[in-house]
Amino acid sequence: MVIRLENVVKIYRLGKVEVPALRGVNLEIPKGEYASIMGPSGSGKSTLMNLIGALDRPTSGKVYIDGVDIAKLNDERLAMLRRKKIGFVFQQFNLINKLTALENVALPMWFAGVSRAARMRRAKELLELVGLGERLHHKPAELSGGERQRVAIARALANDPEIILADEPTGNLDTASGMVVIELLEKLNKLGKTLVVVTHDPDFGKRARMRVKLRDGIVREIERDENA
Amino acid sequence: MLDYILFSVKNLSHHKVRSFLTLLGVIIGIMAVVSMISIGSGMKAALKEQLEQLGSDKIFIIPRLAYGTAATTLTDEDADAIERVAGVAFVSPLYSVAGDVGFRNERRIVKIYGIDPEKAEATFGGGASGYRLLKGRWLQRGDRYKVVVGYGVASDVFSRDVNVGNTLKIHGVGFEVVGVFKKTGDREKDYTIYTNLDTIRDIFGAGNKVTLIIARIDKGADIDDVRLRIENELEKRKGSKENFFVMTQKEIIERVGEAYRVVQVVFGGLAAVSLIVGAIGIANTMIMNVTERTREIGILKATGASNAQVMKIFLTDAAFLGLAGGCIGVAMGYLISLAINTAAARYLGEGVLTTAVTPELVLFALIFSLVIGVVAGLYPAYRALRLNPVEALRA
Repeated sequence: MVIRLENVVKIYRLGKVEVPALRGVNLEIPKGEYASIMGPSGSGKSTLMNLIGALDRPTSGKVYIDGVDIAKLNDERLAMLRRKKIGFVFQQFNLINKLTALENVALPMWFAGVSRAARMRRAKELLELVGLGERLHHKPAELSGGERQRVAIARALANDPEIILADEPTGNLDTASGMVVIELLEKLNKLGKTLVVVTHDPDFGKRARMRVKLRDGIVREIERDENA
Repeated sequence: MLDYILFSVKNLSHHKVRSFLTLLGVIIGIMAVVSMISIGSGMKAALKEQLEQLGSDKIFIIPRLAYGTAATTLTDEDADAIERVAGVAFVSPLYSVAGDVGFRNERRIVKIYGIDPEKAEATFGGGASGYRLLKGRWLQRGDRYKVVVGYGVASDVFSRDVNVGNTLKIHGVGFEVVGVFKKTGDREKDYTIYTNLDTIRDIFGAGNKVTLIIARIDKGADIDDVRLRIENELEKRKGSKENFFVMTQKEIIERVGEAYRVVQVVFGGLAAVSLIVGAIGIANTMIMNVTERTREIGILKATGASNAQVMKIFLTDAAFLGLAGGCIGVAMGYLISLAINTAAARYLGEGVLTTAVTPELVLFALIFSLVIGVVAGLYPAYRALRLNPVEALRA
């Protein structure tokens, strides 16, 4: 199992009020799986994503990423884990506006200590892979939504992570460019990446082999296509 | 490190106006510090040069002033007594007075130095003191009604230039000009008339009074020992050490240097205040930066930046602001220092106010500006690294 959650509880504090976002989640996602996490807003989808993505620690319970319990890691180790194992794709793209497509894609490799020449070379290859070989030196503002999301996907691949986490990756896109993004992500899954998608688009969610339905901070249902 | 610097350049050029205004704070501060300290440094350098020029083999003896008049009177006998002190090569008693001097039909008050003509060249000449003849000759043994004039007296005091062969009337008595000194750069020296000690004392009815005794010591003698012996000899003759000063050239220079150091500290302190304002500017901009770039910090962290790397990114921004401001500030401070130098030479006379931007000053200013940037950036950078990535991404 590349991702394993054991009785995970996450409580947010808003002033003096405690808001439970996850109330005992158990989940196992095997390596190479294509999983979707669905549920209404407020069901804890994003919280679950943040935990799987090692952006946050659980209040209680265990979150194993590739066998490592993230609750036991300090900030430095968490950053290292994110850098090596996880590629994020966000709904709002989250590119850095003052950097070009190429520089955005190269960013995670900078943090990983890859030499300048090597990371520019790889960033160029990745942008070509997502079909943006002609847009290397454009800034995000000069790209369409679909193109921006493809830059984000290229960035997610920068350090060749095992897991791609996509949080509503088509949420800000029209149907056509959304489809391009979905197909690109699925292609990566076919190449061996574990793909976890959070979405409330049922048509998108249904495409996954493993479908996790979340409600009120609890996993209500897990569907699995055994023969996909 | 290069990557951090390139990233900083991108960040800062993204907000050109803000970055420029922040820079301006540092520029003004460093500029003020550099130009102010350059004044003091220039004065010190000029003094040092003067000291080297004068040599350090002279001791000056003057009566101390009390209530505006001399506390004691030095006389020829005192000078003779000093000359007999072990280690003293010879002494030159001097009498200085401001007198009424006429040239053609003009009359001016000019400072006059009476000196033993035989010792004039030995006391002032030989490259020491900066006196060099422009025209004519030095005073010689037996010269009574002859004068040598400073450059300023020759060229500036009267409407027509005073030349060798002309006659000056001191208190109505005619003196022949036998020499003109080159410009020394020292106003006091350039605007003085040099003549025979006895003649001038006769004219002003000063008897055997002297106002200054310059003692030149033997080669190899220890100047501080000699000074002490002179002091003791005079104490015997005058009763108290309180009534006169016995100073070496070095002490005089040191005293003046001390005064300049005070000037330097005061000016430098004022300039430092503006530098602190510049530092606050950097801190302010950086805090704004962190607040504004919260989301970016979230992105950096999500894509694997460690806290240390995030901190380094923001510290580099601040250090870059500091150092860039420092570089421009030093350059502008240098220009201002040059301008002060030129203006002072023109309006106050040469050597009155000189400035110098030394390599040490440049280095100090640059390091200081870098440190200021880093210190001002510490707190904002710390705030940036403390941000929780989840919350930062939600911003």
